[in-house]
Amino acid sequence: MRYVATLGGEPTVVEVTGGADGHYRLTLGDEVWEVDARLGEHGIASLLVGGVSHVASVVDRAGTCVVQVGGETYEILVEEQTRWIIRTRGGAAGAGRGQTLTAPLPGKITHVAVRPGDAVRAGDTLVVIEAMKMENEFRATAAGTVAEVRVQPGQAVNPGDVLMVIE
Amino acid sequence: MKIKKLLIANRGEIAVRVIRACREQGIATVAVFSEADREALHVLMADEAYPIGAAPAVESYLAIDKLVATARRAGADAVHPGYGFLAENARFAEACAEAGLTFVGPPPAAIRALGDKTAARKIARDVQVPMVPGTLEPLRSDDEARTLARELGFPVMLKAARGGGGKGMRLVRRESELADALRAARSEAGAAFGDTAVYLERAVGEPRHVEIQVLADAHGTIVHLGERECSIQRRHQKLVEESPSPVVDAALRARMGEAACRVARAAGYVNAGTVEFLLDADRNFYFLEMNTRLQVEHPVTEMVTGIDLVREQLRIAAGEPLGYGQDDVRWRGWAIECRINAEDPFAGWIPSPGTITGWRAATGPWVRDDSGAYEGYTVPRWYDTLMAKLIVWADDRPAAVERMLRALGEYTVVGVRTTIPALQRIVAHPDFRAGRLSTAFLERILPELRPNDGRFATVATIAAVLAEHERARRGEAAAGDVEPPSRWRLAARPGWTAS
Repeated sequence: MRYVATLGGEPTVVEVTGGADGHYRLTLGDEVWEVDARLGEHGIASLLVGGVSHVASVVDRAGTCVVQVGGETYEILVEEQTRWIIRTRGGAAGAGRGQTLTAPLPGKITHVAVRPGDAVRAGDTLVVIEAMKMENEFRATAAGTVAEVRVQPGQAVNPGDVLMVIE
Repeated sequence: MKIKKLLIANRGEIAVRVIRACREQGIATVAVFSEADREALHVLMADEAYPIGAAPAVESYLAIDKLVATARRAGADAVHPGYGFLAENARFAEACAEAGLTFVGPPPAAIRALGDKTAARKIARDVQVPMVPGTLEPLRSDDEARTLARELGFPVMLKAARGGGGKGMRLVRRESELADALRAARSEAGAAFGDTAVYLERAVGEPRHVEIQVLADAHGTIVHLGERECSIQRRHQKLVEESPSPVVDAALRARMGEAACRVARAAGYVNAGTVEFLLDADRNFYFLEMNTRLQVEHPVTEMVTGIDLVREQLRIAAGEPLGYGQDDVRWRGWAIECRINAEDPFAGWIPSPGTITGWRAATGPWVRDDSGAYEGYTVPRWYDTLMAKLIVWADDRPAAVERMLRALGEYTVVGVRTTIPALQRIVAHPDFRAGRLSTAFLERILPELRPNDGRFATVATIAAVLAEHERARRGEAAAGDVEPPSRWRLAARPGWTAS
């Protein structure tokens, strides 16, 4: 099986073969790794990578793998290679069309700072979500114009809900 | 009057902390829980536990009637409020008293007097305790706020009159920020305390937050247990605390302690309380407020004094005299606490509720874990993000720093994002090691905080791809069926649901 792992915007093609008794061979670009994978306690995997032991945990967060290893955290999007090709080809046509702000966590909208048609600069407050006793301000990451506002104060939101679209 | 059975009107790690103290005193414990907390650790640990309502705190942990009725039904003779929720609510203390229940905390009058931060400032002024210039009354209008802020001079701090825990607090650097800050502070204060009143103080540049723990019994004895430095904060919420402070010597401790006791005495204070001060670069101290409850960070004081603060709270509430005076209080060594919250420190500290699929707390010599979570537990989205407090003790500060780094390295939490990686970078920072702290420290080093430096990119990629590969394989094997969890994910579930 061939996958594309995207870490920090950098895609890497990874081919996986084997798998019997937890023995795999992975080809990352031009590197080949013999890997022995075993699941330990606490949802933590023990990996022997080229004979060196590592302990890693992998958690799925909204389709992205969050990997903890050696006190570090990595967010890696893993897709089948064909799916990655389709997505990136399709994405090229629609690229640069601005930013869709989605709720990163469940909570309640306490304040909407912009209206459709408003011009925003990077750093401007867009919306405030109250969650876990704190007000969390979400700011524009780039300049643009508010195309759509899909929420209003008092509304409950779930992760992934589209809050607004900036063009 | 000895306490025999105590209801804990709280949840999470502090409920667990109180249960532990009670068990060591031979006091039976009653837990209460909301629908979101049925499997919370405090429920599992208490002798008895009762449901008190729906997940929103107003329907459960803030529902005075339900808490009092539950205490009576369970045959409890006392109530401990913990911190947060109703801990600084005078009406709750009164409702307990009216129901014949001992409230483990100060008298309602003291809660009321000190709970209004503007009134507390007047008390401090009357006993000549220095304070930051600011308003002694809540702000009546935006116009008044603007006028007073100009008089004080920017930057100013906006604070909730009923505030605590950093909620309803905003630093305002310039006048153009004032309107937004007022709105945010009022809204947050209203949601957290049911009172939108806010007031102004001049902001002290790069101050340290240093607070004094006091204990007052019902017989007129008041002692202080020294200071805690809590300068490492984000969004005015503490993240790392220690005792003693790297800049407080015996003489300053005595002066600050004496000032704190003076405020406590003037307010008619009884039980454990904390007087918060700002310390400027010249080590001048200014009264901020008095918290009429047990603090989150109380363990560092316990570690250096050897005094169990919850035990003292229970003894004082039962009417016992402290039995010791100021000269009997001794400090030994150094203690540091780190707060392990369900938050993503690399994404603006966004709360990260969810199921904990892996949990291994740090242990070993002189390490204390005060936690309210466990493997398989789901951090609810309804309450604050604190999951655990990690506390270490050592002979001196350098050794305590090394011990904390060792312990943070051992602490493993899988499934939710935590503050652990940020704490590791904070405690290892040269300025932290050198004791060069201020409330601006964290914001200053924030740009240096990164989730990784790329050392394990290959291993992480391999782990992620194999997880995905296994998932895809399982999915194919059972095509047409409901997708079974992969063994990677299955193993990541609590043992008692996977079979």
